[in-house]
Amino acid sequence: MISDVAQDEEKWLAAGIAGLQQNAFYMHRALDSNNLRDALKYSAQMLSELRTSKLSPHKYYELYMRAFDELRKLEMFFKEEARRGCSIIDLYELVQHAGNILPRLYLLCTVGSVYIKSKEAPAKDVLKDLVEMCRGIQHPLRGLFLRSYLSQVSRDKLPDIGSEYEGDADTVTDAVEFVLQNFTEMNKLWVRMQHQLQYHPIFILTRLALCLENVHFASLGSCLPLWCYSACESFILLADPVLRLAIGLSGLQGPARDKEKREKERSELRDLVGKNLHVLSQIEGIDLDMYKDGVLPRVLEQVVNCKDELAQFYLMDCIIQVFPDEYHLQTLDVLLGACPLLEPSVDIKTVLSQLMERLSNYAASSTEVLPEFLQVEAFSKLSNAIGKGSCVKKLSGKGKITDSKATKQIVALLSAPLEKYNDIVTALKLSNYPHVMEYLDNETNKVMSTVIIQSIMKNKTCISTSDKVEALFELVKGLVKDLDGTLHDEIDEDDFKEEQNSVSRLIQMLYNEDPVEMFKVICTVKKHILTGGPKRLPFTVPPLVFSCLKLVRQLQGQEENPFGDETSTTPKKIFQLLNQTIEALSIVPAPELSLQLYLQCAEAANDCDLEPVAYEFFTQAYILYEEEISDSKAQVTAIHLIIGTLQRMHVFGVENRDTLTHKATGYSAKLLKKPDQCRAVYACSHLFWVDDQENMKDGERVLLCLKRALRIANAAQQMTNATRGSTGSVTLFVEILNKYLYFFEKGNPQITISTIQGLIELITTEMQSDSTTPDPAADAFFASTLRYIQFQKQKGGAVGEKYEPIKV
Amino acid sequence: MPSRRRTLLKVIILGDSGVGKTSLMNQYVNRKFSNQYKATIGADFLTKEVQFEDRLFTLQIWDTAGQERFQSLGVAFYRGADCCVLVYDVNSMKSFDNLNNWREEFLIQASPSDPENFPFVVLGNKIDVDSGNSRVVSEKKARAWCASKGNIPYFETSAKEGINVEEAFQCIAKNALKSGEEEEIYLPDTIDVASSSQQRSTGCEC
Repeated sequence: MISDVAQDEEKWLAAGIAGLQQNAFYMHRALDSNNLRDALKYSAQMLSELRTSKLSPHKYYELYMRAFDELRKLEMFFKEEARRGCSIIDLYELVQHAGNILPRLYLLCTVGSVYIKSKEAPAKDVLKDLVEMCRGIQHPLRGLFLRSYLSQVSRDKLPDIGSEYEGDADTVTDAVEFVLQNFTEMNKLWVRMQHQLQYHPIFILTRLALCLENVHFASLGSCLPLWCYSACESFILLADPVLRLAIGLSGLQGPARDKEKREKERSELRDLVGKNLHVLSQIEGIDLDMYKDGVLPRVLEQVVNCKDELAQFYLMDCIIQVFPDEYHLQTLDVLLGACPLLEPSVDIKTVLSQLMERLSNYAASSTEVLPEFLQVEAFSKLSNAIGKGSCVKKLSGKGKITDSKATKQIVALLSAPLEKYNDIVTALKLSNYPHVMEYLDNETNKVMSTVIIQSIMKNKTCISTSDKVEALFELVKGLVKDLDGTLHDEIDEDDFKEEQNSVSRLIQMLYNEDPVEMFKVICTVKKHILTGGPKRLPFTVPPLVFSCLKLVRQLQGQEENPFGDETSTTPKKIFQLLNQTIEALSIVPAPELSLQLYLQCAEAANDCDLEPVAYEFFTQAYILYEEEISDSKAQVTAIHLIIGTLQRMHVFGVENRDTLTHKATGYSAKLLKKPDQCRAVYACSHLFWVDDQENMKDGERVLLCLKRALRIANAAQQMTNATRGSTGSVTLFVEILNKYLYFFEKGNPQITISTIQGLIELITTEMQSDSTTPDPAADAFFASTLRYIQFQKQKGGAVGEKYEPIKV
Repeated sequence: MPSRRRTLLKVIILGDSGVGKTSLMNQYVNRKFSNQYKATIGADFLTKEVQFEDRLFTLQIWDTAGQERFQSLGVAFYRGADCCVLVYDVNSMKSFDNLNNWREEFLIQASPSDPENFPFVVLGNKIDVDSGNSRVVSEKKARAWCASKGNIPYFETSAKEGINVEEAFQCIAKNALKSGEEEEIYLPDTIDVASSSQQRSTGCEC
């Protein structure tokens, strides 16, 4: 059935071409013999082939192109006639005697083109006449092609500025009016194809009555009763038996199939309508003001009012594609304002994404265009458009991202300035940038935030003032805190870590060498990250703490407080801020991390000679140790950190130091596993012996620690013996031996040759015992230790003498 | 048979979106250039009178949409072309790679009588961009391709600066004129001079 239709169409096309060629042949002969009358007669007959209703748009176009080519020859003949002195005005009247309206109007347009070229009448008058006349064809397919013919022959004859057909002061307006009128009429024809049963009998009958009363020809300047033409046209159609049959059949066929066919045909014809917009875009005299105030509103008016989905979608696309980027930028509100007025079924998402694709390419094209974006507040306008009504739903789906293409477009648009300027700082000045991001759904917002951070990292951009930091955090807030409606369990754990790591890297990039400004930066960061919730703080607090400590160190390098007044930045203030920040982290809870940070701060306070501050940090660390850290392994790690830090502290007076040391040794002795206890206790020995400080060399207490460690090691071994039936490893003893040697070498008078000797013998005996579990690592460790002693002995000098008495 | 002298030469410009087809035509016909990108919809031509060997010709230059979605009616306008101009952007490899598709598509759709010898001219446009620093298609490569397709004449152009545009279109006109494409000679089955009534012409004569 379908192939039958196609075959029939081929046949009709072939017949049409044959008829056309035959008449063209006679037309050529008439032209060769300068017979104007015959030339007109045969050309009209030739053009009558275009009155067919049997061809699809594609086939009709083929036929049209052939007629079109033939008309070029006729046009050349007219030109020669005009050159030979034939009155072009007469010719213009003469062609209107053609019997049928369609051929008549094609001929009229052809002569009209020569008429304009002859400049015997102003271009605008001829064009106005022609575009009015063409209303006589109301059959959509024929009308569209006729008007497209008019558009083509007038294309280089518009009274544009700088054109040889330029008229008076309003010349461009005339050109625009002409194209707009043609566009509007074509769009109406095109839309009507969809919505109207094309030839309703009542419509035809009423028109027919009028037609019979009024039969006269158009002439230049006269206003022709247009309905006359329409009626004739309709009458012809009614008389066409094939068409009558078609009308009858269309009532029987399924409306769906009908609709599909009409849509296909309309889709094929769309470029005839859209081409008018291309012609408009090529009119040089249309400057931005004219485009903004006249052209665009008029085009949009037609687009909106036609209330046709296909037309609206296609024409919006055309507008976006044919007019230049800078015009779009300057008229964003007008263009975007039309979107909510379109039919609900129009795919605005695609329309907007095409616009955004163009704008992002434009933004990326040159460094000079960004100010333009700023000036027109492009981002806020886009944001409004995205935010309004149906658009937001379409862009973000049902609250969740559904259309990755739209997302990509937005991300591309927003990233363009970043990529182009290698500098987030410029983008931060875009006051509306965050507002746009506001309208993105959460997922897109995060992607965009990541893009921004990556850009900063890649370009090593330094964000140096608190204002900028404020703006930046506003931009990347999708990563910094929970946005409304984010469901935690939907977030992939690894993705989350990745995101938060990038935020943490970002915090490190915020720097100003001026301490006052840097402190402001820090306060801003703190304000934002504290809103991040328990999952984010473990990622964001540490970099902030280290930024603070860096600032502390910078201030500490300065001899005196350069500011002198109360409002200035001092280490004390920074430590207060640190205390609050870490406290927030500890509540999460994250005791181990908080403890580490407290200790870092304590050490920094030590370097600033702030004893009470350092003590406070230790206190906080101890409280966490006592109340929050219950896991054995974590306790071991924590206690060694505490001991290590405390050992380096020099700010404390005797009392504070005693308190803290006492606590630390107490914690050590209470660890669960004996080996852990032993190691922590011998580590505590270092708390009583600091090399470069003479008042911190308490040999007795060092010895006490080591002895205690020995007792615990002994107990550990006995426990192993009791539970497993064999003696445990001697590793702990070797470790303690090393401590003895260390303090011996440092000159602790409490460590004597005999204790060392006794320990060596103890270990040797233990290792030879049958019940001892063989432990190659311990053996090797012991052997190395002995080798060390041997080595020291051989060194000679003071060291050699000191070691000499030890027998190995 | 009386034959009218051939005075109209039809030229079709093809190439990817954004390579500068409209700009080349505007530069050649109107000596104007705009940096702004404006898509072309459908197909549309400008004419220019050219003098060649003491004869005056009208060059009908068809500019086409590079974006496929703006070519909804198809390419019936290819019919009767005397020369086809293939344009690419020297700064875009893709636009060069696509020349082959454009050429083949043209030969299929226009079905010239002698496809082997149908005149093409290739233009490598936008040589002005970034002083040639962003160029990715070398002249050598382009010429090699042209040579492989039957010695297609090749020009490096800048529609913006007007470089080589005149020369290129001179060559295009010359080749269009030499083109073997003769107009279809139509001979009616019967010549019935007396009959003026047409069977197909029915209906209202108003």
